[in-house]
Amino acid sequence: MIKTIKNMFIGLKKYSFLLKQLVVRDFKVKYKRSFLGVLWSLLYPVLTMSVMALVFTQVFKMSATGVNYLVYLMSGLVIFNYFSEATNLGMSSVVANFGLINKVYIPKYIFPLSKCIFVGINFLLTLIPLYAIILLTGTGINIYHLLLPFVVICLFLFVVGMAFFLSSIAVYLRDMFYIYGVLITLWMYMTPIMYDFSIIPEKYQILFKLNPLYWFIKFARDIILFKSIPVPSVWLYCSICAIVPLMIGIFVFRKTQDGFIYYV
Amino acid sequence: MNQDEMIKIEDVSMRFNLGIEKGFSLKQGFVDIFDAKKRKEKKERKKKNEFWALKDVDFTIKKGEVVGLIGSNGAGKSTLLKIVAGVMKPTKGKVLVGGNICPMIELGAGFDMDLTARENIYLNGAVMGYDKPFIDSKFNEIVEFSELDKFLDVPVKNFSSGMVARLAFSIATVVNPEILIVDEILSVGDLAFQAKSEGKMMEMINGGTTVLYVSHSLESIKKICDKVIWLDHGHVVKIGDIEVCNEYYRSITKNQEEVNEEVN
Repeated sequence: MIKTIKNMFIGLKKYSFLLKQLVVRDFKVKYKRSFLGVLWSLLYPVLTMSVMALVFTQVFKMSATGVNYLVYLMSGLVIFNYFSEATNLGMSSVVANFGLINKVYIPKYIFPLSKCIFVGINFLLTLIPLYAIILLTGTGINIYHLLLPFVVICLFLFVVGMAFFLSSIAVYLRDMFYIYGVLITLWMYMTPIMYDFSIIPEKYQILFKLNPLYWFIKFARDIILFKSIPVPSVWLYCSICAIVPLMIGIFVFRKTQDGFIYYV
Repeated sequence: MNQDEMIKIEDVSMRFNLGIEKGFSLKQGFVDIFDAKKRKEKKERKKKNEFWALKDVDFTIKKGEVVGLIGSNGAGKSTLLKIVAGVMKPTKGKVLVGGNICPMIELGAGFDMDLTARENIYLNGAVMGYDKPFIDSKFNEIVEFSELDKFLDVPVKNFSSGMVARLAFSIATVVNPEILIVDEILSVGDLAFQAKSEGKMMEMINGGTTVLYVSHSLESIKKICDKVIWLDHGHVVKIGDIEVCNEYYRSITKNQEEVNEEVN
């Protein structure tokens, strides 16, 4: 396992320029011929989140006890959207690049990884509107915000692990594209993004806590909304939720990658 | 591996499963779990569907040798090239390669049609494993050789297929690799460019590059190769000098005559 990771890093160094090119390519292709260009990376999440905010505050009259609901909603949504978009793109990345995999030798993990980075940059851009809302609603920024990079890294590692896992499964089982579409919708409702976690009956809460995203979002909200350092157990769970899926993802990808070529 | 050996193929066999497209559905997989007889049948069917693209291929190529691969369609030539290039792993056997490879298996495999020629030079260069300073330094050479300086900022999707091939050939040959793998690509572009690309290849050959060359044109094989490997249905029929070409030619014409006689 350690050797695998070491080899991966050596390969990464050699192919870091390719990785960069793939990410740049995604940006160029995505915004080609659009008038606003990269500005859409900012505008799109703002607009979709505004719609959700409008629906949940005005129509469903949702609220979260003791905190600003808009910030509550946005902080969860930003994290979930990154997870959802990156894993979806990552899952199809190997299949989409079969033409290349079949012709030249490239380390195959570079495709899901490049997608996670590409969406990750978009995710960092969505933090701008998030912080705008934090300031505009009077929630304010505190010194503990400096701890947030920890959860961003955990989230990234988790997403990479998921993308590795899903992309290799999807090669063998194309049904995965549909299954995951359903799964991600379920996952969204199983994550306390738009509702307050306290409305979940106590006996079911354990089920929700098995969800890595629960811990990442909790970590972020503890800092942003409750202005406190997350308790040590939250740090621990965040780390576990990042490392374990990443290890599983690497393991599955490595075991299956030599067989990809037969399923082109 | 000795100092003067460049490519060593040891008892390489490559198996494909022809039934791979069919017997793969979740439903079938589920049914089979409970049905031992079916499972056995499936195993036998799998064996029947096996196809050996290469069987016990064993040879060594020395440094600086120009080796031609000949044989009818489906003889395993391209599979062999892909195995040497590292795109596929052989089912059995070992492949040792003693230098950096420039695989020209399919030109332009790494192109993104939505990007311009300029962007594709960087992307394709990265796919081949080069870094930015290197591509920067070779950029003018690539553009000059491809004669596409007027079209640098045009998306490649608007190129003619000859233009795409010219660009790809120029990128692929800008380095002096130790091993060059060529799969019938010298017929790209117009007559003038064909002559130019052939000249470039001869230049590389004279520079001491080891070449593995596939072509159906016995004329061009005779012209550039000093060793010929004749493959048929995955087996090596004969390895020798260009005289093997003539034997191969006689065997085809003999078969053709037999067919003609049967028809008559």
